[in-house]
Amino acid sequence: MSALATLETGLLLGLYALLAGIWGVLWALAQVRQAPIFGRSAAAAYGLHILAALTIILWTPLGFGWKCLIVGSSLVFFVMPWMTWRFLQHTHQNGGSEHDRKPSQHSGRVVARL
Amino acid sequence: MYRSQTLALKYFSAAMTLFGIMTVSGLIAAYYYLNPDFLFGILPFNIAKILHINTLVIWLLMGFMGSIYWFLPEELGRETAGIRAAEVLFYVFCAAVAVVAVVFIFVQYGGSDEAALWLINQGRKYVEAPRWAALGIVVIMVVFAYNVMGTAIAARKTTGIITVLMIDLIPLILLYLIAFPAISNMSADLFWWWWLVHLWVEATWEVLIGCIMALALMQLLGTSRRIVETWLYIEVALVLGTGILGLGHHYFWIGTPNYWLTIGGFFSALEPLPLLGMVVHAVYDAGAQHMKTTNRPALYWMMAEAFGNFIGAGVWGFMITLPQVNLYAHGTQWTVSHGHFAFWGAYGCGVISVLYLVLQKTRNLAFVDGPRWKWSFAALNLGLVGMTGALLVAGFVQAFVERAIGGSTLNAFISGQENAWFVDGMVARFLLAIVFTAGYVVLVWDVLTVGRRAPAVAAVAPAQ
Repeated sequence: MSALATLETGLLLGLYALLAGIWGVLWALAQVRQAPIFGRSAAAAYGLHILAALTIILWTPLGFGWKCLIVGSSLVFFVMPWMTWRFLQHTHQNGGSEHDRKPSQHSGRVVARL
Repeated sequence: MYRSQTLALKYFSAAMTLFGIMTVSGLIAAYYYLNPDFLFGILPFNIAKILHINTLVIWLLMGFMGSIYWFLPEELGRETAGIRAAEVLFYVFCAAVAVVAVVFIFVQYGGSDEAALWLINQGRKYVEAPRWAALGIVVIMVVFAYNVMGTAIAARKTTGIITVLMIDLIPLILLYLIAFPAISNMSADLFWWWWLVHLWVEATWEVLIGCIMALALMQLLGTSRRIVETWLYIEVALVLGTGILGLGHHYFWIGTPNYWLTIGGFFSALEPLPLLGMVVHAVYDAGAQHMKTTNRPALYWMMAEAFGNFIGAGVWGFMITLPQVNLYAHGTQWTVSHGHFAFWGAYGCGVISVLYLVLQKTRNLAFVDGPRWKWSFAALNLGLVGMTGALLVAGFVQAFVERAIGGSTLNAFISGQENAWFVDGMVARFLLAIVFTAGYVVLVWDVLTVGRRAPAVAAVAPAQ
């Protein structure tokens, strides 16, 4: 790998992961806020993530196996927010139990000083 | 209040003090890059760096221990077993840290003999503490493990979180034993040394902070135990699954077999996946609560923990984790940038979040808010993000000029250090370190005064 390719590849990999994070956050915000702008922004972020992935695959000198990992990771990044959200909803719907703790504002107060 | 919780307050006080020493020694170390003659002959750069790194490890460890001593009696409904020993050892711990720091600052070097290993410095990065102090740390950690396990046995009950914690404490202690042997073969020495460093930071500590955050979430947001424990199991499995063999991403330039580079690159490249799940989880929790809570700083620091972990460990780590890039980036300011961001995101923010939770209870506050925590939150996070950005630029120069073009010769090292981008990066890092330090000062001010200066606000809960 040439000197310049090292920097370019590192930056592209960082951008790739960052865009995946932005996709996940915006997708989750779209579920919370029910605002179309978040949904569209999330789609745009994932589109940019795919663009970063394609650039890595077509342009960087990474080996074939690493490029396969990039493709696979992009697929998992795509479903990860959805899977997490579904599972969160599932656990919260069935989450109550007699052992649950009450929030701090309702629990007993103790007074002390540091 | 349980005695264990009083002990927790002492641990938090010590942790905050060491956080300050870490910040100041980091500031001094950063200034050496601008003025290498600074404190020449008095305090060398490497001593400032040792202080910076070791206080980082110890303040976080003390923060974790304080958190566990705080939550444990509430979780198991009884006083912590062996609390008297834990109380005594707290003072031993603090005294040992102080003596070691004094030795580092004033003695600095020893001869190449056993006495130096025992009394001055073991010479291995991150675990430089002399052997007597390292033995003390083992004793403290064994008693800490006894506190947790003994309490569960005495209470004749455990919870999912405490069970995970108890299991985690065993490798936490065993891995630290790697700090002791002085292996003469450098490859073998570094091979095992990375087990200690990596598997503490990316395995046992991850589980520890996962347990602490699970306990904190139940208090802060009233999240149900079943949900918290389910997610703890999943996240621990994913983090360990990707983190343990990610060990190989450190095995560059030390003579380990090549297959480690592929194994390390592959598994650590998977690490952002569970971290993204954690970020989505944080957004879900924040959305469910509409960001309303009785303890805003604790919630915001907890959110910062999830996001900081993803960006610092996930994004910054992903940049350098594949072997083709790691080959050049390894050991440059690029990895320093990753290390700063990941430590702060994964652990620092979490400890501060728990600290605010504890303050709410100890000061009998119905509501925790105010302007100071926002200033400290902004300054600490902006300072940290700015520092990591500046270090990233400096790291690019090192990887490009010194490593990839120059082939890591001494001349190439000098060329890298004199490069304008590198110098500017170091100036920017120092200036932003001052911002971070200011944030620390405001944080301490807030921690010392929150709820004490405005009792009317503290006593009345707002209508939310």
